[in-house]
Amino acid sequence: MDGLALLGSFAVLIAIGVPVAYSLGIASVIGALWMDFPLSADMIQIGSGVNKFSLLAIPFFVLAGAIMAEGGIATRLVNFAAIFVGFIRGGLSLVNILASTFFGAISGSSVADTASIGSVLIPQMEKKGYPREYSAAVTASGSVQAILIPPSHNAVIYSLAAGGSVSIAALFVAGILPGLLLGATLMALCIYFARKRGYPKGDSIPLRHALKVTVDALWGLMTMVIILGGILSGVFTATESAAIAVIWAFFVTMFIYRDYRWKDLPKLMHRTVKTVSIVMILIGFAAGFGYIMTIMQLPQNISQFFATLSDNRYMILLSINILLLILGTLMDMAPLILIMTPMLLPVVKALGVDPVHFGMIMMVNLGMGLITPPVGSVLFVASAVSNRKIEAVVKAMLPFFGALLLVLIIVTYVPGISLWLPRAFGLL
Amino acid sequence: MRETYSRLMDKVYLASMWTAGLSLTAMSLIIPWAVFTRYVLNSGTGWAEPLAIMLMMVFTFLGAAVAYRCSAHIAVGMLTDRLPARAQKALAMVVDLLMAALCLFIIVYGYDLSAMTWNQYIAELPGLRVGITYMTLPVGSAVTLLFVVERIFCGSQHERPIVRIGSEERPHSIDDVVAKSAA
Repeated sequence: MDGLALLGSFAVLIAIGVPVAYSLGIASVIGALWMDFPLSADMIQIGSGVNKFSLLAIPFFVLAGAIMAEGGIATRLVNFAAIFVGFIRGGLSLVNILASTFFGAISGSSVADTASIGSVLIPQMEKKGYPREYSAAVTASGSVQAILIPPSHNAVIYSLAAGGSVSIAALFVAGILPGLLLGATLMALCIYFARKRGYPKGDSIPLRHALKVTVDALWGLMTMVIILGGILSGVFTATESAAIAVIWAFFVTMFIYRDYRWKDLPKLMHRTVKTVSIVMILIGFAAGFGYIMTIMQLPQNISQFFATLSDNRYMILLSINILLLILGTLMDMAPLILIMTPMLLPVVKALGVDPVHFGMIMMVNLGMGLITPPVGSVLFVASAVSNRKIEAVVKAMLPFFGALLLVLIIVTYVPGISLWLPRAFGLL
Repeated sequence: MRETYSRLMDKVYLASMWTAGLSLTAMSLIIPWAVFTRYVLNSGTGWAEPLAIMLMMVFTFLGAAVAYRCSAHIAVGMLTDRLPARAQKALAMVVDLLMAALCLFIIVYGYDLSAMTWNQYIAELPGLRVGITYMTLPVGSAVTLLFVVERIFCGSQHERPIVRIGSEERPHSIDDVVAKSAA
């Protein structure tokens, strides 16, 4: 009943159009009033939700990715990807997927990935005879890789939502193989369609040009080397590596790529303040919401509910996946990670599922939610950059949903894909 | 009258935007600086961490107000978009009033929190009161409230030129970059 007051008011608030972050804030106030709980305690949680050192990593990771994405990194990554897969049949669709893999190594944002790679590649793909909606579907589904390939700010948010008990380093390393698996699966599907529909091969790239393009792209890709190298060697903390990545991203875009002029910087600031602060305020209000949820003992109740459902871990993981898929179609990724992790983590932990593995399940699952209607931020962006109706893009995307679902099943039931690499690095 | 208020809000908006943006910039410099002093100068900088966190609070709560005026926050329009125009308008009013209520709540209780912790100091940075850190909550909410009031009386301002800064085309169009890399 208590839970209903909290979750129910939250659902109503979202439905009438209150922004998700503020819905969490208002619902937590309603919950506190319902429980007759002091409002000042709710306030402390909202305040201290943003008052944490570990949280600094999130604005930095978002910012580093945003600086690169706002410049011309997408074109460079597209050119770089073309060296490896451009000459195969269906070349441009494969380039699209591989460029997203690289993009994921710089930014964890699927929206930025779709916007920037889509606007570079969709017109090029159209010239070579790919229908726009197909290109949009390839771009959008490929961009889910950005969530898995490190650095991923969603992984940092998960680590935070898990109460800081899951190391960011382990999550980053764990994301590599599922990310590559996703990329490979999507590429296989693209090759299949290319043969069936006769999409053209691209040109192979002359060595000299390839060298130039590689050097150009490596400047940007160094971001991931700095971040992962710094964290894994223990030289930097995750937060420090993220801040250094911001400086690096700025240096590369400003002085190597020269994508910005100094007079463009205020505009860049305006843009990044908007994109980064909406994530941060969400975390603050989610902290208050999570606190009220804990007072109401919601996580325990949900654990017990799942325990009565079945004691088979495969069944429970299946039902959790279905639940998350449904929620993912309605809501964005960050709020769902923040709300669902504290509820579901105890359930899966009791079944012996590693929190790092569960994190990967959530990333793939909620990543799918970004491209599914009715609410899918990546889907909306893909439809906007391709200038095609959402319905048309969704129709073209159906086989790609199938591929993503396959990857989700594999990641869910083969823990080794998520856990092997972090174990090999001694992070687990 | 309305236009005067909105013009005043433009000033508040720009001031908040610059404060948030410069806080974000400063925290992006402070943390690498702390790494630099640790490894190169071999001296720790204990103040870097609490200062960066305080700047993050400033950035978050003022940035959120700014993002509200731009209608940049994630919201679900799926249900409301299908309603008739009049119902949409009525619901938008309900949403604005709820937002105003939340802002008032944070102003009151955030101020209390700030007052409660006013005499506590952050150990690594003796000049910094804990209360100042928490002051960002009521201040950010007060700015949000000003923008909520504006939306109630003047409608959404997300098409205003000042608000659109940074939301228009990329600083360099993609074509520029394509031309550059082809050359």
